[in-house]
Amino acid sequence: MAKHESVSAIIAKCGLAGLLMSGSVCATASAATLRLGVAGDALTVDPIASSDNPSIWTELLIYDQLVRPSKDGTTLVPGIAESWTVAPDGKEFRFKLRADAKFSDGQPVTAADVSFSLKRAAGEKSEWGRFFRPITSYEIIDDHTIAMKLDKPFTPMLNNLAMFSASILPSKLVEAQGAAFFEHPIGSGPFVLKNWSRGQSQDFVKNAFYWEKGKPSIDGARIEIVPEDNSRVLKLKAGELDAIVGIPFNQADTLKSDPNINVTVATVFRVDMVQLNTTKKPFNDSRVRQALNYAVDKNALVKGVLRGNGTVANSAMPVMAYHNTDLKPYPLDLVKAKALLAEAGLPNGFKTTMLVAAGDVTQRQAATVIQADLKKIGVEVELQTIEGSSQFGTTKSGNYEMSLSYATSDTIDPDQSVGFLVVNPERANAYHTQWKNERLNELYAQERTTPDGELRSKMFKEIEVLAHDGAPFIFLYNPSSPYASRKNITGFKVMPTSNYDLTDVVIK
Amino acid sequence: MKLVFFTLSRLAQLLPVLLGITFVAFFLLRVMPGDPATLMLGSRGTPEDIAALTRQLGLDRPLSAQYLSFLSDIARGSFGRSIAYKAQIGPLIGERLWPTLALVGFSTVLAVAMTVPLAMLTAVRRGGVLDHLVKIFFVVAMSMPGFWLGVLLILLFAIVIPIFPVSGYGDDFLTRLHHLVLPATIIALGTAALTIRSLRSSIVAVLGADYIDTARAKGMPERIVLWHHVFRNSLTSTISVLAVHTSWVVGGTVVIETVFGIPGLGSLLVSSISARDYPMVQGLTLTFAVLVVSINLLADVAYALVDPRVSLS
Repeated sequence: MAKHESVSAIIAKCGLAGLLMSGSVCATASAATLRLGVAGDALTVDPIASSDNPSIWTELLIYDQLVRPSKDGTTLVPGIAESWTVAPDGKEFRFKLRADAKFSDGQPVTAADVSFSLKRAAGEKSEWGRFFRPITSYEIIDDHTIAMKLDKPFTPMLNNLAMFSASILPSKLVEAQGAAFFEHPIGSGPFVLKNWSRGQSQDFVKNAFYWEKGKPSIDGARIEIVPEDNSRVLKLKAGELDAIVGIPFNQADTLKSDPNINVTVATVFRVDMVQLNTTKKPFNDSRVRQALNYAVDKNALVKGVLRGNGTVANSAMPVMAYHNTDLKPYPLDLVKAKALLAEAGLPNGFKTTMLVAAGDVTQRQAATVIQADLKKIGVEVELQTIEGSSQFGTTKSGNYEMSLSYATSDTIDPDQSVGFLVVNPERANAYHTQWKNERLNELYAQERTTPDGELRSKMFKEIEVLAHDGAPFIFLYNPSSPYASRKNITGFKVMPTSNYDLTDVVIK
Repeated sequence: MKLVFFTLSRLAQLLPVLLGITFVAFFLLRVMPGDPATLMLGSRGTPEDIAALTRQLGLDRPLSAQYLSFLSDIARGSFGRSIAYKAQIGPLIGERLWPTLALVGFSTVLAVAMTVPLAMLTAVRRGGVLDHLVKIFFVVAMSMPGFWLGVLLILLFAIVIPIFPVSGYGDDFLTRLHHLVLPATIIALGTAALTIRSLRSSIVAVLGADYIDTARAKGMPERIVLWHHVFRNSLTSTISVLAVHTSWVVGGTVVIETVFGIPGLGSLLVSSISARDYPMVQGLTLTFAVLVVSINLLADVAYALVDPRVSLS
């Protein structure tokens, strides 16, 4: 498009300086290419071998899945499958693929590609195998219809198929090229990865064969890796970038005052909490754990640390489908907190330690506030800064008393988070707190086989109440995620799963 | 010929040093808490999943066996495969090597370009206004943390007076040079603060030597006295300072790389340590070691070139 622009159009868009400078400088600015700044680079674009956000976000631009989360993250909408049915016994899923869906090399997306990709995702090499192994067999009915059978009903299955790890790959190419395929990946998603300078940038062009008519409306996107938060903000202000994600809370307000920039706050699936090791005294006493919850001023944390970008958490779950909105968070009540401690035989409080990830400004600020709050009920907390990557292993080994942490969800179904955060025994034993509640475990087993609807909703709501009362954590807040774009950009959106959608972006 | 022989023999002496470094890097990493499989699987890792991945990565083998296979990989000219990137390490490091080398090289050139004239001027006119100004300026520059100075320079020269880009690396030689001006200047200021002091005091010392008086007495033009006799005889200690500091800069660029978004080795090392990407960290440690050792080798060669008394043996 830029090639055929008249001289006057270029001057209109870029000013005279743009014309005098080499034409290409201006063309990159005016051709519809979005320049987006992110904090980290992808490691790989193999969907079954990724768990870091940058890789996942890149994959979601390149590949399609059968279904995808709606933009508000509350339900599933068709992806490369235009429709699907679930058998009444919950043991068969049948998907009808779009007849016009094509990979970026022009080859059609077939049922064989779906079966190949999902078997690969369930395979031994996959880091996400457990999410797809409930499917026990595939039946290719015709080129565009596929049935999947399960031995027993597994309600979260459909959500798992919306994950990046369930991306549909061209089976013939992957089989022929092996690992080399992911150096020049081909997908049926909105964009094609044209060039990747690791640690620096990724250049995308739009997939000419993309099934969603008229989309994406931009010709391409350049994702620039700008690890430093300040630099990313400054690059946006200087017009070197059109949009950025991951804005520190204390910079969001400053950016809002810039007349050229729109700041939006995305609601994302994340909850921050303090893990309490319930195998250690006095955290084995639920009264002590509740006392800690009453003593921390969560509203002050949201106001002071998050600068208002978030809500107070009422339990251990991110705010997502089936969230219990009737459940009130623990209010700030020092009298009650002290009474509970006294009841537990600790009227003078106690001394303890809390792990805090190094290098995370927000976490450090929150930790200081929590420390000051707990001191008011006689609980002396010594903060122990720990390198971020060691924290998970340390709490897993049980070698801690309190640990400031958070959890996010990769799917829009609460099953994944419940299993990780509050079920014990499960893969993390209630996120390393070792807290156990038989009724909750029972509900978890039931919700997984109960079809979506009122009954399942009730189960999740009860799970949240049980977690709230048992208090294996100090529940803190659900932070939101500020992002920004320049005023000439519309349609740039960060999704509840934290990835960004570029299909609706328009550059004026 | 002598030079080639000297270089080769020095390189041969380095083998045990490098071997020692790989050994330390290998075992230090293993005693750090946290392992790659647990980190990769995160919230979804069951003990079985983690065990399977550990086996797949070959991390369940005895440490001695892992170390030996690492050595045999290196002997065959390969660093092995990265755990986090799922790709061969050699090309990944290669891609990141150039930005770091460009940054270190550019900043060294800038540092030398600042050092030579300023040291000479301040030494010849010691106690003068310029001498004091230079001293104050570089003490201030050196005491400011690099990341803070970086943000200040970005605000000044990329936002208020937009003549340089905020951050990034560029796509061709000229844009890269343009992107590297600010970060290289910051590193160069730190280096020059040391080398100017060092060179200035050497020059002052040499200026008092008898042979300088002799040179002047026989009517040699001052310019030749200064540049031929004084300058050349003052260089040796400054070469050491420059070499030591540049070796330090090679490993310390990570902060500047992060502030300016330069895709170099430093940031790769930090992210690889966070991911417990053992093979990658080992490969990077070795790369850094080779770089540092090469810089010192260059310094040795430079001594010999400026001082005929230093022999290459």
